Amino acid sequence: MEDILANINGVAVQKFGAEYSETRAQKLYKTMLTLKEGRVEAAKQGIESGVAIRVLVDGAWGFASVGSLNAEALASAVSDACKMAKTASSRLKTPIKLAETKTVEDRVQIKPKKKPSAILMEDKINTALSINKTTLGYDKRVKSCTIDYLDLTGTNYFANSEGTRIEQDKLYVWSRITAAAGSKGVFSFSREEIGSTAGYEVFDAETPEMIGEKVAKRAIKQLGAKSPKGGKSQVVLGPNVVGVFVHEAFGHLAEADLALSGGVLQNNFGKKIGSDLVTFYDDGTIDGAFGSFKYDDEGVPTQKTLLIKDGVVTGLMHNRETAQNFNAEPTGNARAENFRVEPIIRMRNTFMAPRDHSLEELVEDISSGYYFKSFRGGQANLDGTFQVGIQEAYEIVNGEIGDPVRDASISGNTLETLFKVDAVGKDFELWPGRCGKGQTAFICDGGPHIRIKEVIVGGSA
Amino acid sequence: MAVLEKDEMLSLAENAVSIALKKGAAEAEAYVYEGQATNVGIERGQITKTNRIIDRGIGIRATVNKAVGFAYTNIIEGQKAIEDTILRALSAARASKPDQDWNGLPEKKLYAAAEKTYDRKILELSSEGLVDLASSMLDAAVSVNKRVFPIEGGAGAAYLSSAIANSNGVAAFDRGTIMECSLAAVAKEGTTVTPVCFEFNAGRAYNVNPEWVGKEAARLAVSALKTKRIETATTKLILTQFALQELLYFTLINAVKADNVQRNQSPFQGRVGEKVAAENVTIHDDGMLPGGLRTWAFDGEGTPHQKTTLIEKGVLCNFLYDNYAAKKEGKESTGNASRAGYLSTPSIEATNFHITPGNKTPDQLMSEVDDGLIIYYLQGAHSSNPVSGEFSVVATPAWKIRKGKIAHATRGVMLAGNIFEVLKNVSVIANNERQMGQLVAPWILVENVRVIGK
Repeated sequence: MEDILANINGVAVQKFGAEYSETRAQKLYKTMLTLKEGRVEAAKQGIESGVAIRVLVDGAWGFASVGSLNAEALASAVSDACKMAKTASSRLKTPIKLAETKTVEDRVQIKPKKKPSAILMEDKINTALSINKTTLGYDKRVKSCTIDYLDLTGTNYFANSEGTRIEQDKLYVWSRITAAAGSKGVFSFSREEIGSTAGYEVFDAETPEMIGEKVAKRAIKQLGAKSPKGGKSQVVLGPNVVGVFVHEAFGHLAEADLALSGGVLQNNFGKKIGSDLVTFYDDGTIDGAFGSFKYDDEGVPTQKTLLIKDGVVTGLMHNRETAQNFNAEPTGNARAENFRVEPIIRMRNTFMAPRDHSLEELVEDISSGYYFKSFRGGQANLDGTFQVGIQEAYEIVNGEIGDPVRDASISGNTLETLFKVDAVGKDFELWPGRCGKGQTAFICDGGPHIRIKEVIVGGSA
Repeated sequence: MAVLEKDEMLSLAENAVSIALKKGAAEAEAYVYEGQATNVGIERGQITKTNRIIDRGIGIRATVNKAVGFAYTNIIEGQKAIEDTILRALSAARASKPDQDWNGLPEKKLYAAAEKTYDRKILELSSEGLVDLASSMLDAAVSVNKRVFPIEGGAGAAYLSSAIANSNGVAAFDRGTIMECSLAAVAKEGTTVTPVCFEFNAGRAYNVNPEWVGKEAARLAVSALKTKRIETATTKLILTQFALQELLYFTLINAVKADNVQRNQSPFQGRVGEKVAAENVTIHDDGMLPGGLRTWAFDGEGTPHQKTTLIEKGVLCNFLYDNYAAKKEGKESTGNASRAGYLSTPSIEATNFHITPGNKTPDQLMSEVDDGLIIYYLQGAHSSNPVSGEFSVVATPAWKIRKGKIAHATRGVMLAGNIFEVLKNVSVIANNERQMGQLVAPWILVENVRVIGK
């Protein structure tokens, strides 16, 4: 396979004058399930194979993808990519250049304890059915339960015109479980996700019964929850919310493409933008984590990247193009969802480092505030405005966690809010998730419990 | 561009259905999809990239003993790949569990042709043509003001086609084109950067206006440079299509899907015939809207698209059905089975979700507001509660309206409430309808929304 890809790169460089060419191929197998109240809507299996060609001609990118390994289709794709790049280059003011990286030849094999492809479809259905049973059986007010399951296995191949050749196994196991509860005209909704690059053994650590109970319990608790009061408030965030806060409020701004686009970190490199307690990493090397891999889709090895240390911005997440721009090293953050799309800068496992407080210590000095335990969505803006939606929250009254609160969200500006982090817990959790930036990427985020002096809480009361 | 012809696609689908039946399927359905797209991309003020994507595939549903299996592949060259896919659909069905509510695939129906959904000129557009278009959009944006920085955008042209066949004799083909250009821009002054402002044009015919898109994105960005904080209050809002699309997609549209109603996760359950919105609110789902972005002759199961009245003068009339949900209630599908190309089984989705326009101009709508906000871009609408309709989102930038005029921009305002209350509080609807994804709507004026400011 790598020979076919290397030949394509050869054509791009020799025949069409590309200064750089990279070709990716994938052969991926997916198994998917959707269950609603224990009814298997469909058991699904898919094959996605194809080739992506990306070339740099006269400083502009050309990209073509085809769902075929047919020689004629590939020849026409490489010609398309090169000619279109040349067309785009006609209006270029600043030609694109790439930072240098070492050439790599490697074969990355994954050896899971439980290979998803070796587990029978029947067994996967049974796992989902037991999650469903626990969820619906928890309380009769739980009205519905939807379970989506996906496993993806296969191989990615990469070759570029500089001599890098990588064959890399891919493995993801993911499931999302949602439940809706209803009682006396009040509705609530609860979601859990699991995700792993280790193997089907993820269900041994988080058993179907544990997952089902977690989803159902939250939905029921939320039925009795009150609306939060809108306005500024002191808050404690749980690791699940901290993860999304780090990802949305800081992570996206530390993606070098967004920093270059005018994001607020552009002019803050080396500057203090948060309290001494704030240290964030983006780490692609954590074994089995949902955002881990060995090489990115430009053939650059992944790494553990320190983004902010004790409040000072120390690093950004780069691809080869932005690394050249910032005169930095590529960090291995270029990821493509599949062969149909180009690699762009994406997070991996992004988290806040723990410190020394217990949850009790974080809560005890708060006379009135909120404890935000679990998130539902979040979004960032280039100017540093962030929003994180909350699916599980509680009041804090006189230093104690109290009654549940429903459907809140928090917002603020990153550059102000990071200075307001005034205590950081000693615990640590990492949560799997999916991030949308035109393409979907599998990621993790997390951290310890933290306390923030002031954020804006969006509430209707 | 060379595309698969109608006959090739239909025979691929029909052939797959007949093989599946021979291999033991009780029922079978094949959906063949082709998408070809050419895009020119803008990054940080210049055109930097182009892409050409060809995606084809087949998705096969087969049932065995009322259990449904599905398999897809993007390799459609050669009989073996198709046969393997059929066998995988069958093995999935055999591994699955029977569904007593499964009442068969859709029956054969007559189709009307979708109007204004195909323009040959889009097919013939070269990448040079798209570069010119993107370039004129960029030039227009920067000409507005030198503080404008276009961060991302582009121009694209796509051809899409699908063929579907099933064992009840359904055999249908449709094709269409889509063209779009879009620009996201910020404005910068000193160390101040605005939130991202965005504009676009999209349509089924070759008639986009890149200069307008560029100028409008730039105008919004510049006007967001000077901001003032606002006070927390309960106030009037003008929701533009950007805001409506985000809010409705994650709340109201879920509530009118029949499967959510049947599964006890819609507040509209048992409320057909009841008043659920203000008198002036009428909403149709119209899969045949001429030139609509989601207009096709048929849905993802081969059921003809139609116009379905969801809310008429504030009264809830009907829900959106696919074949499965409809048969469960002994009804007809409304043609709302949607598919992600060949990659997925059908699920219920709106087509063109059309809010009937009123007769006020946007200026007249503005003049109704003595004190309020006009909302364009929302952050976090996807974190709304999809069942209860509660939302808690950030509007940034938004613009303060005083005495019918824009007074100033504001940032980071939070809006919190419940979409079903918002529907009851719609006081005026404008006449400036436009399409945005599945939404077709004008601006609307809403009373009494909780706004959290400084």
